[in-house]
Amino acid sequence: MLVGIPLEQSNSTIKPKECATEMSEHLVAVADARCKRSFSRVFNYFAPRLRSYALKQMGNEALAMELVQDTMSNVWQKAHLFNAEKGSPSTWIFTIARNIRFDMLRKLQNRKEDVCSDDLWPVLCEQTADLNEAPLDEQVTLEQIGYLFEELPVKQKAVIEAIYIDGKSQQEVANELSIPLGTVKSRTRLALQRLKGMLNDND
Amino acid sequence: MIKFHPSSQQLKEFVEGSLTPAVSLLVSAHCDMCEQCQLRVESETEELAAELVSEIEESFDESAQFGDMLSQITQSPSSIEVDGSSSSYASNLGERTVSIELDGRSFKLPRTLHRYVDKTGNWSSLVGKLWQAPVDLGNQGVANFIFMGSGGSVPEHTHRGTEYTLVIDGEFSDGLSDYDTGDFIFMDGNKTHTPRSDTKEGCLVFSIVDQPLHFTSGLARLLNPFSHLFFR
Ligand SMILES: [Zn+2]
Repeated sequence: MLVGIPLEQSNSTIKPKECATEMSEHLVAVADARCKRSFSRVFNYFAPRLRSYALKQMGNEALAMELVQDTMSNVWQKAHLFNAEKGSPSTWIFTIARNIRFDMLRKLQNRKEDVCSDDLWPVLCEQTADLNEAPLDEQVTLEQIGYLFEELPVKQKAVIEAIYIDGKSQQEVANELSIPLGTVKSRTRLALQRLKGMLNDND
Repeated sequence: MIKFHPSSQQLKEFVEGSLTPAVSLLVSAHCDMCEQCQLRVESETEELAAELVSEIEESFDESAQFGDMLSQITQSPSSIEVDGSSSSYASNLGERTVSIELDGRSFKLPRTLHRYVDKTGNWSSLVGKLWQAPVDLGNQGVANFIFMGSGGSVPEHTHRGTEYTLVIDGEFSDGLSDYDTGDFIFMDGNKTHTPRSDTKEGCLVFSIVDQPLHFTSGLARLLNPFSHLFFR
């Protein structure tokens, strides 16, 4: 018996460019709001493709599924490291999968102490992401940049004030303002980048 | 100016992740120093990613394959929630050594090699004006920093496996070509060469010998290929 269930539109019919924009937006939603709905869209699109890729590379179903799971876990946990200006979602996710495969092969060959993927392709290194903040944290005190601080957007100022003047943790600020931790983190980063830019202009 | 780059094939395999770890390390360090290869790596990465996206079997039953993988993943916290403050990253970064010292001189290393400063052994003096410090890459073949002082030269030698060399700082010649900072050199087969540096500052290179691991005879040579390359 035929029942009129509408078929869900298959992801593979979406044109690449539209898809990249859509996936970027979903990744941002995962980073900022831990949006499970957005993540499931990313998962449904990429998991089958990763599985195909992994099967070809590893030639083994169990290893392939492990690669898919590890890759998508990293996408979920580290979505805040995705930067749409640096590349498309598929490029970012490919590099994560490639790195995990590289490290899986090393482990299979019992090579623990040698070259790891982070050395070669630091795509998931927090260090790289936070590189811009570090010098500012260390070299400039808030007194020195007090007058620049006043020029920050209100929302960024509130976050910076709570963290750098009141000494609160980012989690405390998130709770207090009832916003996701990812948002506190990104506002902090934006504010620091902006301050740094203003400082350079003043030089 | 950099004249010697990895081949297109080597760059492609580097991006695929199919180059051996030790050679990947050298290609990656070269890319730290070479904008041209950075761009090639970027476009190669985009191409492979585009292949990934197009890689899908027709009539694939998506939901059945992945079971509860999706819900398992979304139950885990984000890494920001786990790691907490960002300040620890900054301090780690500050403490990390990014250069190696020899004879009162300090050589800045490309990013890829930073983690290997801790794995670098002591400098030992080889024949005239030649210094060597071994780098532990696990069982990935043998890596060395080699410093050729002004007028210092490596005795003529040939290669059993492939020798990969990255010029970290300075210039040298080997009777075949002249090399400059950033150059990526691979020598294999039966080529004979005599590296020497004649500039006042000397030359620091990072070098690996990529012997195939299924090479079973002459185990001692495998463990320390440089000693036989240099002294026999
Ligand atoms: Zn190059």
